[in-house]
Amino acid sequence: MTATLDRRDRAPRTGPPAVEVTDVSKVFGSGADAVVALDGVDLTVAPGEFVCLLGASGCGKSTLLNLVAGLDQPTSGTVAAGSARPAVMFQEAALLPWLTAGRNVELPLRLAGAGRTERRERARELLTLVRLEGLAEKRPHELSGGMRQRVALARALAAATGMGGSGATEIQPGVLLMDEPFGALDAITRDFLQAELLRVWEATGTTILFVTHDVRESVRLAERVVLLSSRPGRVVREWGTGSETDVEELHEHITTELREVISAHGR
Amino acid sequence: MAGEDRAVITAERDESVDVGRGLDALDTPTERRVPLWRRFATGVVPPIVALVLFVVVWQLLWASAIWPEFKLPAPGAVFGQIADEFASGQALSIIWTSISRAVLGFLFALVIGTPLGLLVATVPLVRSAIGPLLSGLQSLPSVAWVPAAVLWFGLTDGTIYFVVLMGAVPSIANGLVSGIDQVPPLLPRVGYAMGATRSQAARLIMLPAALPGFFSGLKQGWAFSWRSLMAAEIIATSPSLGFGLGAYLNQGQSLSDMPSVMAAIILILIVGIGVELIAFRPAERRILRARGLATGP
Repeated sequence: MTATLDRRDRAPRTGPPAVEVTDVSKVFGSGADAVVALDGVDLTVAPGEFVCLLGASGCGKSTLLNLVAGLDQPTSGTVAAGSARPAVMFQEAALLPWLTAGRNVELPLRLAGAGRTERRERARELLTLVRLEGLAEKRPHELSGGMRQRVALARALAAATGMGGSGATEIQPGVLLMDEPFGALDAITRDFLQAELLRVWEATGTTILFVTHDVRESVRLAERVVLLSSRPGRVVREWGTGSETDVEELHEHITTELREVISAHGR
Repeated sequence: MAGEDRAVITAERDESVDVGRGLDALDTPTERRVPLWRRFATGVVPPIVALVLFVVVWQLLWASAIWPEFKLPAPGAVFGQIADEFASGQALSIIWTSISRAVLGFLFALVIGTPLGLLVATVPLVRSAIGPLLSGLQSLPSVAWVPAAVLWFGLTDGTIYFVVLMGAVPSIANGLVSGIDQVPPLLPRVGYAMGATRSQAARLIMLPAALPGFFSGLKQGWAFSWRSLMAAEIIATSPSLGFGLGAYLNQGQSLSDMPSVMAAIILILIVGIGVELIAFRPAERRILRARGLATGP
């Protein structure tokens, strides 16, 4: 018996891309010290798609994510990220320690100017979505690492989707950028959160661009895995996954390719 | 077949929910509440015992008559002096004179020190220009300003407030600078990623994040205000300046009245500790507790 992914194949997605990166290069520094982090990267993510950016350290995957998030500007090329601002989730939950879990989730809505009662209601919805119902009054230090990361997920969803279904004329599924969000967690918690993320993704229809260096994680989560080379970062290859995919085979295949990319630097 | 698969998946999901609940239960940090009697026993009893021991040793030294009475009065004489001053109402007027000055001076220092600290923390040029001076001023005893202040302002309240400001402003400004420096760089990034404007990021993220450092600067600023005030009051005495604790201490010295000298020292100490315990300690505990930074009970 072969392990396959417990996932329905989706209908091909239509509409304008959620994220479109065209011929993007990023150079840090100048002159002899210049480091080319990204070189001619093209990447298109369809609305609702789950894409993993995979690569060894130094491949500029976090740089690419920062460019899409608008936290940094490309040296050349263009980055377009749909109509709404993408939300970002980092390796650390980066919750504001003086705010309760609920207030943390409310913060992006507050920044967007939403009223108190409606944003409280939306925060409760999102906390329920990540199975933290009833914990809105807890402070970050009273929660476990996995719970904090789920609060961060709820906050990112609040930032990506705004007020969501309640009151908005059109529901915007939004774009979620995740920079190794489970990297600092223990194996069991990580496994659980991966399953939770898939569930939330299916429930919300959010577009997800997920950065990782863990091949197994990328194969489990993504519909499409994009492998980046290191220094300079370029797109090497990409693989699609579906319900027919043999997980072990794909995992082995990508690992071989990743090894190849890394070894090229030793020569 | 497909239905069977779906059932397996659903079962796995239910299991995953249980795993999640279990993880949450196991990994959630537990906060131990220390019972009230225990906090009383560890926090209040030891200082009281130490105080009683101190008075007993003092009494024994006095009784052994190693030093003459005018150098070491009996504890009873000193506490009697304090009681007399309170009974005549003079103690309250002396303490009020000093405290009102210290509070007013501290508030002035707050108004000047906060924007100064913000400027130093956020403008690199200002930081490299006056940052070192500001930390240097912190180690300059503000009593050194008294002679200059007397020459500039004469024996007026201006002299006293000037010395208090020179003591407190650097502490408050430096506290804010180090508070802002200690904010993890990820927090403002998160703010910008969520679409915060610069003013929203400053108001909703940077200032609350810098609050613990700023508050410890305020606490130190208060201590420096109080010290500087006492130094100024002891040196710059004049009927036009009113009669505060420092002047009272100075008068005790010129009359060689040891009990009132010691009474003055004890009152200065009590006011200093009292303000710390009543105003600063509870506020600081609230700030730290909200962030999970509180140490001890």
